[in-house]
Amino acid sequence: MKLLSVLLWSLIAALGATAFAVLALAHGESVNAAWLLTAALCSYVIGYRFYSRLISRGIFALDKGRATPAVLRNDGHDYMPTNRWVVFGHHFAAIAGAGPLVGPILAAQFGFLPGALWIIVGVVLGGAAQDLVILCASLRRDGKSLGQMTKEEVGPVAGVLALVSIVGIIVILIAFLSLVVVNALAESPWATFTILATLPIALLMGVWMRVLRPGRVMEASAIGVALLIAALLLGRMVADAPAWAKAFTFDRRQIAWGIIAYGFIASVLPVWMLLAPRDYLSAFVKVGTIVLLALGVVWVLPGMGMPAVNPLCVGAGAWADGSGPVVQGRIFPFCFITIACGAISGFHALVASGTTPKLLASEADAPLVGYGGMLTESLVAILALIAACSLQPGVYFAMNSGSLAAFSHDLPAVAEKVNLWLTALGSSITPGDLARVADAIHETTIVGRAGGAPTLAVGMASIFSTALGGSGTMAFWYHFAILFEALFILTTVDAGTRVGRFLLQDLLAHIYPPLGRVSWYPAMLLTSGLVVAGWGYFVLASIADKRGGVAALLPLFGIANQVLAAVALAVATVILLRMGRWRYAFITVAPLAWLALVTLDAGWVKITSMNPAIGFLAKADQESAALASGTLSAAQAEQSRHLLFNLHLNCTLCAVFMGIICTMILLCAWESLLLLSGRRPLHPSGPAISGPDEAVLREA
Amino acid sequence: MRPWRTLLAALWSGLRSWSGDDAYERYCAEHQGHKHKLLSRREFYRRYFDRRGGGPRCC
Repeated sequence: MKLLSVLLWSLIAALGATAFAVLALAHGESVNAAWLLTAALCSYVIGYRFYSRLISRGIFALDKGRATPAVLRNDGHDYMPTNRWVVFGHHFAAIAGAGPLVGPILAAQFGFLPGALWIIVGVVLGGAAQDLVILCASLRRDGKSLGQMTKEEVGPVAGVLALVSIVGIIVILIAFLSLVVVNALAESPWATFTILATLPIALLMGVWMRVLRPGRVMEASAIGVALLIAALLLGRMVADAPAWAKAFTFDRRQIAWGIIAYGFIASVLPVWMLLAPRDYLSAFVKVGTIVLLALGVVWVLPGMGMPAVNPLCVGAGAWADGSGPVVQGRIFPFCFITIACGAISGFHALVASGTTPKLLASEADAPLVGYGGMLTESLVAILALIAACSLQPGVYFAMNSGSLAAFSHDLPAVAEKVNLWLTALGSSITPGDLARVADAIHETTIVGRAGGAPTLAVGMASIFSTALGGSGTMAFWYHFAILFEALFILTTVDAGTRVGRFLLQDLLAHIYPPLGRVSWYPAMLLTSGLVVAGWGYFVLASIADKRGGVAALLPLFGIANQVLAAVALAVATVILLRMGRWRYAFITVAPLAWLALVTLDAGWVKITSMNPAIGFLAKADQESAALASGTLSAAQAEQSRHLLFNLHLNCTLCAVFMGIICTMILLCAWESLLLLSGRRPLHPSGPAISGPDEAVLREA
Repeated sequence: MRPWRTLLAALWSGLRSWSGDDAYERYCAEHQGHKHKLLSRREFYRRYFDRRGGGPRCC
């Protein structure tokens, strides 16, 4: 039996290694997506079997007989022992958002191999390990949050820093994702109509579940999904009728204000009315579409249009200095900043130390939920990468280059510019190709639709239409994909604004206690307004940027997310050392060192680079010089002043995030030293969970 | 045929459990025989949705 097991695992390892070799050694010829899927799946299986076991058995010695917080404190609401597959569903729905979809698409500029390697290796050794360690630590600490654990394990200063980085990432995260939706919906009446239709659909679902048929969630969700499909079909008629199309055509600024208003209203309305039903709608559509995408990719197995490594981004290539049109920056470190979710995401530590540990019925379920959940998200990232890289490279670059947005209807000029880049890739594009794609998806243009969402939608539509229905269905599938992305991005916007509001209320309660009362309307309105103003500012400022704003906000988003991951890993290291597991500390220290290197390098480059396309200060100098020259019109000067302020703000934020990561590492290193020197007591199995509930359990 | 039915039944049951569709049935089963009065279905779900605070949703 043991020999059979060794043979099986050796076979999986050999298959995975072969797939990696095919990907890495492909020179010039198109590689089939099957190899990428094989490499990823083999790595995931091996990681789950060996690395998650190292964490769950080696470090935490998870014991299925040991009572979890859900069992000890079962209150039927927050703490509730739940079937492990149901917890997996909750956990996955909470961690998987737009990040694993848009990040890999934008990083496809570098070719598919750098992103694929980071997604696969990063998740096995970093992301999934982080999620599992934090989940187990929280499980052994009564389901405590990352902030509470930081405060207790490292100290109050570290606790405040963790809170600041959490609020920071929420603001930047919502701003970036909102910008993705803005770019996807702008000038698209079909997409806008469909997304607007989700509001009355969600309200109807809310009333159905609470008033008309209390608790009939599945019924309400089925009605919601059916109405959503009807809205999608109706959207085409709206787009085809000139008067209606005009009524639902909005520019980027109008869409941005709409999202800002939505975020505020959703945050202050009762949860049952809008947030909960939208969450159901979004979760069902999200999981259904991801399953459909996985089946579609396996069915079609497209060839990769992009090269393994883009020759323009390496060696003597024109973009090797970091001046690429999609992501501004070199492969290292910017590929690892652009792809955050999908490889490693600090935000997951909030989920793994939030609801999930309070639901686990057995410690033995933690690897499936913590490690397995993250592997599944990584697979989503691989699918997104395949969808983007299977497109014609010319279509990819025309869509994602913010600098081409100004020429969105001048297709010959766009094709000429893109062909200059494509020569190095041995590819080309004609204005007719660009027009054909726009026509197929029923849009006026595809040029300059940066942010990743429209590219993924075209890639998905291409795969779905090949698998189901033929090229005539491309427009339907494109708008279905846009609906799918916008729906769950808006769920992140409303839930994130609400979570940000609660965090802010917690902070402001120290100044004036009534501000901490979550149901007091003045406090609710004030804090919601402040959170919305925070992310809304970045959305509006990015829209004013002629390059589309993604270029400035994307690195900040990546840095913020990775900083939070570094905070979680630093705290996790202290927890491991406090448990006396010195020899396993590499599990958290290795990804922490990598993230610190990547984040600090990226932050440093963004601040100090002399290239105005990359460095915030260099760009600010350029704007200052333009202002000082006196050649700008009054309107241009006004815009330039806004941009100047925004660049300095971005630079300051970048420096703050770098400061947080350095301070957290120093604080955790100090605490680790105290533990290693014996000046702090060890807790080999973590602190004992105590409380009245446990006493009751013992008596029983 | 039977394994498919079992699989579909398990999937349906998992979906109901995940979404909270069967939360009231579980609540009734758990509190049957207890001395306190059970909440009505409407009241139970009023509280259930009020407590669904919209936890963190990641990127």
